[in-house]
Amino acid sequence: MQFVSMALKNLRRRPVRSILTIAGVGLAVAVAVSLAGFNLGYRNAIEKSIDRLGFQVMIMAKGCPYEAATMMLKGGTGLLYLPAETYDKVRSDPEIGSITPVFIGIAQKEGSGIRDDSGGSFAILAGIEVPSYRDMKPWLEFDAGAGFEGGRWFSPDAEDEVVMGYEAATYEQRKVGDKFLATISPQGAVQPVQKSFKITGILKRTGTQDDGTVFLPLKNAQKLFNRPNDLTILGMKMKKFSGAQLQEFESRWASLPAVQVVSLQQVKSTLVMLVGTAQTMIAAVTVIAILVALIGVINAILMSVYERTGEIGVMKAIGAFRGDIFQLIWFETLVICIVGAVSGTLVAIAGSRLVEAAIKKLINIGVQGSIVIINWEIIGGVMAGAIVVGFFAGLYPAWRAASMHPVDAIREGE
Amino acid sequence: MEQGKTIIEGRGLQRYYRRGSETVKAVDGIDIDIRMGEMVSVLGPSGSGKTTLVHLLSCLDGPTAGKLSVEGRQVTGLSEDQLAGVRRKTMGFIFQKFYLLPTLTVAENVELPLLFLREKPDRAATLEKLRQVGLGDRADHLPNELSGGQMQRAAIARGLVVKPRILIADEPTGNLDSENSRSIFQLFRRLVREQGISILVTTHNLSLGYLADRIITLEDGRVVKEEKGNTAE
Repeated sequence: MQFVSMALKNLRRRPVRSILTIAGVGLAVAVAVSLAGFNLGYRNAIEKSIDRLGFQVMIMAKGCPYEAATMMLKGGTGLLYLPAETYDKVRSDPEIGSITPVFIGIAQKEGSGIRDDSGGSFAILAGIEVPSYRDMKPWLEFDAGAGFEGGRWFSPDAEDEVVMGYEAATYEQRKVGDKFLATISPQGAVQPVQKSFKITGILKRTGTQDDGTVFLPLKNAQKLFNRPNDLTILGMKMKKFSGAQLQEFESRWASLPAVQVVSLQQVKSTLVMLVGTAQTMIAAVTVIAILVALIGVINAILMSVYERTGEIGVMKAIGAFRGDIFQLIWFETLVICIVGAVSGTLVAIAGSRLVEAAIKKLINIGVQGSIVIINWEIIGGVMAGAIVVGFFAGLYPAWRAASMHPVDAIREGE
Repeated sequence: MEQGKTIIEGRGLQRYYRRGSETVKAVDGIDIDIRMGEMVSVLGPSGSGKTTLVHLLSCLDGPTAGKLSVEGRQVTGLSEDQLAGVRRKTMGFIFQKFYLLPTLTVAENVELPLLFLREKPDRAATLEKLRQVGLGDRADHLPNELSGGQMQRAAIARGLVVKPRILIADEPTGNLDSENSRSIFQLFRRLVREQGISILVTTHNLSLGYLADRIITLEDGRVVKEEKGNTAE
């Protein structure tokens, strides 16, 4: 028999108390692991979503750049437009590696009878120039599964052809060759216009907002919405992307009326910072949970020490040194913290998908993909933290037990 | 072992303590010798100082005044851990409340002192000790599966596992019926006779106390009588 096995056996003496104490530690650890996993996952998801936009820099109508960027990420109806001539002016800039104009309009969906989660039934229509848009997003490919065969891009002058993103097509239960019906309200028109399109292709899932978008030729989109001289954004990749060059580029084009230059790196940093602020508050709650668990552990072990006063006295009588008693009680605390940490981590891993689904259901977080990532670094960090907490939580009860005078302890136990 | 050699020697032992404004003289100037291979009973009414004297002689408590030596080594003034070191090599303990750890089996309880000595337990030796006290078939039982008498026998085996020179028993029959009490004292006698160890035992029970080789009677912290026992069983 070793001190560790004896400590384990002692914890079985009051199983309910031990389980509750372990549960307290486990809960705090589960919160800590989930928060750390959410922190990492959400940052990654934001970065990935912005990176998958394919642009490094956007030019868009003046307004809140972050709102605009968020709109690009998760969609929205509050669209602002910039003059199409901006495209002609900017495209010749020598710093630009590639550029693509995008026109975004919101149409009412028809035909499916399925309403989306927000209670509306809107479709995002994106007018694009296929070659430059694909240059920005080389990963766009047509799905080739059953019903999706033979996908192709529309011709630039086509007036009744669309390509659908994966989710938009799945949601509408559409296949290649099917019709897509949309009700469009052209600028200045009193009555909306119902329009029928042929679906020429359905894209593979990308994990970005493109999945929920319906693409059509740029000119046709501008015509349908009666905005022949408007664009929503100009997406760009620079030849060399650096802070100084971006600043130079920004100052060069900031003089254009009613437009702004937005770096997605800035958007990314700001979004991460905003998320970080909220997470700091949640982290404070986690710290409180850990402190409560710590106090719970100290309380449980102290109670156990006081209940065993007589036994501790006898152990000292039969030859236990102060260090032996200290070690024994300290092991018990460590075992509670380690078992709590392991079970809390397992709960966090098992529950992460559940939490993610709940968060996504409750709020539109604006990013695609997994927002909770629990990796070995997080698990290792939290485990190490639990051991450190156990180390400190065990000090006082262990010192208390080790300091008992054998005669007093035996007398108290009688 | 050298029979008759003094193992514990106390001279002028005093143990005073404060209770409010009053000074209680629990042990008040006692000279005592415990020799190898003898069984000594300490008798006396409640509050006479029996337990305090045993605590002093077993190095569990320090005297207010006087000198104590164990196997010729002066132990007065040693630190708590040094005293524990003296105890673990020389003494085995038995208490009124048995104090077996409820989560350990009988065999594990018996081997507990070896954990503190950092010695690997020898299960065969443990079983032999349990056989000596009549519990050879109870090694894997938990304490709550034993009767009071059996628990005290397990506690005796625990006291014997370190091969002590002296077994110190404070009211070992206080929680037992008369039959079990007598059987425990008979076991003590057998251990003295067969293994040559010393036993220092306190008891309220005069008839049991007189089974020892020597009887010391205390009153108000002082020795009032010292006599030979009736060792004929």
